[in-house]
Amino acid sequence: MTTGTIIAIIGAALAAILAGIGSAYGVRLTGQAAAGVVAEKPDLFGKLLVIEALPGTQGIYGFLVAIIVMIQIGALSGNIVPLTMEQGWAYFCACMPIAIVGLLSAIYQAQTGVAAILMTAKEPSASAKGITMAALVETYAILALLVSILLVFGIKV
Amino acid sequence: MIVPMKKVTLYALKQDKEELLLSLQRCGELMIVSTEDSSPQEGFSEASEALERTRDTLGFINKSVGKRGMLTPRPEVERSELLSVNPQLKKLQSEVRELELALGKNTAKESALAADYGAVEPWIPLDVPVEELKDTRKVAVFTGVVPEASLYSLDALEQEHGFATLPLGTGAEGRFMVLFCPKDNADEAIEAAKSIGFVSVSPPRIEGLPKDYAAGLAAKREVLAKERDALNDSMDKLTEQRDALEILCDQQETDLERRSTQATTTDYTFCLKGWAIAKKENKIKKTIESVTDAYVISFEEPEQDDVPPTVTKNNKFVTPFETITDMFSRPDAREVDPNPVMAPWYWLIFGMMMADFGYGLLMAVLFGLIIKIGKPRGEFGKLIRVLLYCSVSSAFWGIMFGSYFGASWFPPVLFPMLDAPIPTLLLCMVLGALHIFSGMILAAVNCFRQGDWQGAIFDNLVWIVILTGIGFMFVESLSQIGSIMALAGAAIVLLTAGRSNKGIKKLTGGLLSLYNVSGHLSDILSYSRILALALSSGVVAMVFNLLAGMVQGSVLGFIASIFIYVIGHVFNLAMGLLSAYVHSSRLQYIEFFGKFYTGNGRAFTPMTISTAHVDLK
Repeated sequence: MTTGTIIAIIGAALAAILAGIGSAYGVRLTGQAAAGVVAEKPDLFGKLLVIEALPGTQGIYGFLVAIIVMIQIGALSGNIVPLTMEQGWAYFCACMPIAIVGLLSAIYQAQTGVAAILMTAKEPSASAKGITMAALVETYAILALLVSILLVFGIKV
Repeated sequence: MIVPMKKVTLYALKQDKEELLLSLQRCGELMIVSTEDSSPQEGFSEASEALERTRDTLGFINKSVGKRGMLTPRPEVERSELLSVNPQLKKLQSEVRELELALGKNTAKESALAADYGAVEPWIPLDVPVEELKDTRKVAVFTGVVPEASLYSLDALEQEHGFATLPLGTGAEGRFMVLFCPKDNADEAIEAAKSIGFVSVSPPRIEGLPKDYAAGLAAKREVLAKERDALNDSMDKLTEQRDALEILCDQQETDLERRSTQATTTDYTFCLKGWAIAKKENKIKKTIESVTDAYVISFEEPEQDDVPPTVTKNNKFVTPFETITDMFSRPDAREVDPNPVMAPWYWLIFGMMMADFGYGLLMAVLFGLIIKIGKPRGEFGKLIRVLLYCSVSSAFWGIMFGSYFGASWFPPVLFPMLDAPIPTLLLCMVLGALHIFSGMILAAVNCFRQGDWQGAIFDNLVWIVILTGIGFMFVESLSQIGSIMALAGAAIVLLTAGRSNKGIKKLTGGLLSLYNVSGHLSDILSYSRILALALSSGVVAMVFNLLAGMVQGSVLGFIASIFIYVIGHVFNLAMGLLSAYVHSSRLQYIEFFGKFYTGNGRAFTPMTISTAHVDLK
């Protein structure tokens, strides 16, 4: 295995790790808030679950990019392609948008989500507005995901 | 489309009021609003208290037997049965209420007895009546408790200070005991005992042997337990009557709704004000005529400052999608109804985000079954129907992109999304641009309706030309036409957008509004999320297929692979549904509605028969 391949694998791992940490932290925040509200108003569980799950998508995006890199460099089929240093760094950089933006946007989205959960607790009919507010934050994770995917597909092996 | 409404004013005699309200409620077409001097009907607060009590009872039953499941059908009831409160059901409710109270009393008694027993328990081994535990002429008697850990050092102290102990039972604090010592060194002995942790506790205030008293308590507890079982049995029988209680709850709710009607009354007459759908004028008149002929009613067009409630009437496909709009905000009664345009876009975009034939099939089965078995109603029912319709578009885009449970069983009709992300991205943007254009056209329609043809053309339609031009500039054969369109459009905006300003501000207004181009372009870029979401659900499905494929090869592996398939795809479907629902709603709310929608409408809530728990036959 070349150093280039290892650098690419580090990139893929970071995409899964950082975005995963962000989502785990984010869902923890929204989950705590939702649990507090459900203790008082059990009927809101369904509405709150949607908001609670929103910061969970960044982890999936990171996972997704990691898998695509693994497919591209043959890590899944077992025939790992020996990459040059340049190719390795190119994969590494391609993973960074979703790794970093995924980590931060999940946490920020969760903070908006907590506010949306409290709003829903006071005014259950406003839950769709709360979901939309939290979903606005996700736009930037989606853009980062797109950049990462397009870059990964663009690298010729 | 938005249904025209009329303002209704009704005058009638007070003696007909009860009956009139009843038949208006049965007719269910009149929304009565409060005015400055109106007040609710007689018995309003009693009705609301009664409803509250029934709800409490129902909550109590639901707590003890669990709520009705989402898929269990509700009881079916005739409309007329809900219009009055059934006294027999009311009796049933008070029976349940009495049982509830009796059960509560029983529990309280039981816990009091248990506390009593706990206090006596350590004293049971005492074989002297409690009242005889007194100092004798020469011996002092103490009672108390010693921590278990100090028991061993007690023996040594007994020797040293010459006292004797009678150990009793054990409690939370330690071993209870009676301590005897000669009176002349009683102080010294008790000091010594205290030094190892002896704490004086007076014996329970009872007479006779503690053993007998405890037996008495146990007998009482048994009686209570039997009582509780009997109460629970009758409770179980009553919970079978939950359907009846739910009917009662809806009857009382209907009763309360009628009594909360706001009317202005004089000595002999009363007046109702409200709103009705214009076409229902005759139905309402007939309803009133069936009761009395002493009435005056007027139906008027809403005036400028009136805020009529909004009723939308659409075909069977569009209607469920109204819930998506209503969650954002109801349309204003005077603007164009966004639903007929929004529904097909929502349907198309949702399907593109799922983009899998297999998942479309699963959705159709899942939501079809929920509708068939659970008969969901209201907003939730609409949402389920939206998801059912979207299963078709999901399957359609699955065929287009050749995705079947994440595998490619058949070649794609268009192109494979994973291998050709750029063409898919372009497709998303083009669809997005068309979506936004349809929003601009609706904005233009709103402008025309208000007689503002300049606003329609210069603020909305011209942008369609500019954005189409910018799009054409990227296509080689059309780039020349494109740049002409974009430049001409930009010139029009520059010259007209500041038309309401004065002097030099006419031009600066134009320049400022030209800056909107960045907003419109970022709106269109926002549709790239369609590709990202479709890719993410496609790749996750592919990964689960890959994982399942890896473990296959033996019988055990085959079973494991089935687990991976089922759990993986169910998880992916759930996450995909959440993302597609949230993000296709967002594209409507922000990108589409942002172009034209004001949405300050309020709901039309006519006085009718309300059913929270039952279905009408």
